Amino acid sequence: MLPLEALPLRQSPSALVSRGRVLFCDRPAAEAGVRTGQRLSTALGLQPGLAVFERDEVRESNALVNLACWAGRFTPTVSLLPPATLLLEIAGCLRLFGGAEVIVDAAQAGCATQSYTTGWAVAPTPLAAYWLARMEVAEIYQDLPTLHEALALLPCRAPGWPDETEARLAAFGLKRLGDLRQLPAAGLRRRIGNQPLDDLARAWGDLPHPQKAFIFPEKFSLKIELPARVEHAEALVFAAQRLFASLSGWLHGRQLLLQTCILKLTHDDASFTDLPLSFAEPATDEARFSRLLREHLGRLQLRAPVEVLTLSATELLSKPGASGHLFDQAVAGEGTLACLERLQARLGEGAVQVLGQRPDFRPECATRPSNLSRFSASTVSAGSHAGAAGFSAPRPLWLLPAPQALHETAGKPCWHGPLRLLSSAERVESGWWDEGEDAATGDVRRDYFVASNPQGQWLWIFRDAQAWYLHGLFA
Amino acid sequence: MSAAALALAEVLARGDIWRGDTLAGLPEAAIPSGHPELDAELPGGGWPRGNLTEILVDRNGVGEMHLLLPALAALSAAGGWLALVAPPWVPYAPAWAAAGLALERVVIVRAGKDAAWCCEQLLVSGGFSGVLAWPAAAIDARALRRLQLAAEGRSGFACLWRPLSVANAPSPAPLRVQLAADNGDLLVRILKRRGRPAARPLNLNISRPGRLARALVGPSLSLAAARSAAIKAVA
Repeated sequence: MLPLEALPLRQSPSALVSRGRVLFCDRPAAEAGVRTGQRLSTALGLQPGLAVFERDEVRESNALVNLACWAGRFTPTVSLLPPATLLLEIAGCLRLFGGAEVIVDAAQAGCATQSYTTGWAVAPTPLAAYWLARMEVAEIYQDLPTLHEALALLPCRAPGWPDETEARLAAFGLKRLGDLRQLPAAGLRRRIGNQPLDDLARAWGDLPHPQKAFIFPEKFSLKIELPARVEHAEALVFAAQRLFASLSGWLHGRQLLLQTCILKLTHDDASFTDLPLSFAEPATDEARFSRLLREHLGRLQLRAPVEVLTLSATELLSKPGASGHLFDQAVAGEGTLACLERLQARLGEGAVQVLGQRPDFRPECATRPSNLSRFSASTVSAGSHAGAAGFSAPRPLWLLPAPQALHETAGKPCWHGPLRLLSSAERVESGWWDEGEDAATGDVRRDYFVASNPQGQWLWIFRDAQAWYLHGLFA
Repeated sequence: MSAAALALAEVLARGDIWRGDTLAGLPEAAIPSGHPELDAELPGGGWPRGNLTEILVDRNGVGEMHLLLPALAALSAAGGWLALVAPPWVPYAPAWAAAGLALERVVIVRAGKDAAWCCEQLLVSGGFSGVLAWPAAAIDARALRRLQLAAEGRSGFACLWRPLSVANAPSPAPLRVQLAADNGDLLVRILKRRGRPAARPLNLNISRPGRLARALVGPSLSLAAARSAAIKAVA
């Protein structure tokens, strides 16, 4: 029905006519008895109100391309089969959508809203799907054996086969493809040529049948002529939905996000109005496009009736790729680094740091936090430092920001009570190289002990030439 | 009589009926704490994911981090990120690495006054499998409620360190644990959990550095004594 449905300003019943004969007719005309190949005069006699059009192949192919763009929402692998067939490779998308039935339902609903009537079939081989769809079988065949049964019942007629072949097969007494398939191939090839038998082998899945993939156009610009002149702005939303559906499919197919687009309204006096739509956040959702357009059209006063709508995407962004998890465990939320960036933006530089270590015996120098800005570099180098400081003596998880001096009572260091020393001394004597530098720890000579107080707190203390200090907590 | 008993059994078999004498099961698998005695008492058999946990402790250095370390190490080993929000001390990186944490995935957030906000953002982002926060003592019930909501339904472990003084104040956290030292062991009292209240505190034996039996004593420890001895020698 595409040749008819691609035409604007069409009313039913209607027919396409070429050289005085009917090429296509719509359903109401067919019910009145109009048939393909009839003389125009006969057709008009059967259906006096028949609207007659010339075929417009440019419009047809445009309509098919628009539909292919729209079909980009289902699968990236779309093939055009002119004049009026689209092949969608959906084997790879079944899990994403939840089964072939869901895709078929969605595709049919989408075609219906764009006022296209469709015949469809799902089959493991492209040619079989095409034949079955042409016969309006409307079934899903997921495996070859059931497909073979269905194909065997089809009449011995296929699009693209010469009329002579069909006549010949009829003369052989062959009615179904199944009968044809049972005959010895070599003899048949001599009688009816190679093409029908090759087609059979392709449809049955014996021969591979690669399809030429539809290439989604670089730029999106789509024009539709309205079926009637529209004088109210609100009524344009319905027509524009068709454009948005194609646009959304095209965005999916090319993995792009839309930032701004322009809807051009061409009036019947050949003047036009540009209606730019821009989105706060790049989007691919056609419902969102429609909502925004409705807001704009609500305020728009049309100065003349509109005949043509043209939608062009002006600003596009490529879609950031995000891989899903293998086992449905995708996290909700913005993710780690995005969150840390935001925290850093609020708290200031240096407030968000990633831990790292440095091979230095002085405890306060052994931790090297790295800022988020240098984050990627630090992850690379972190591995090389891991395990650089292999201590045999225990080390606390927490250090005090600066060692805290302890007082002595009865010859013992005290912190919330007298401390008991639980290990032998560990000498840390290091750091002459940065003695005297600003903000450097400098040369230290300390004896570290593990200690505990009567409250059961375990501490890391040291003694140097001056006094006892508390330096860490064994938390 | 038997009909009534049957009806009751049917009611109890329903999935949405929870009996008060059993520990609640959690929808998300809990993180084993590494202490079997504690796991037996915690709902779900470990530290909960997707819920706020409060640990109340006044005196630090009693082994409170060692209580969490096995769980944190497991989270880190599984590739998760850990965030320490507003810790009152400085982490000593080699010790954290030795405990089995991947340092490049441990983030320190010096949040200042914004600890609660940061904690909420970290939880909501979903990018962290463990968030430990030391909020200001004055954190109010509304902020706690927000944190519990942020933690809910996510797979991260969210832990707040709070002082013992808030033990009697109501809190939206489904799990509250109070810690104290007990003669070298760690006394864990579960103040609140989903299920029946815990009967008695747990005495956890956690590994502590040094040896209690080998305490050092002697005048040589005293700096003051050493100084006076030195002065005498000079005189």
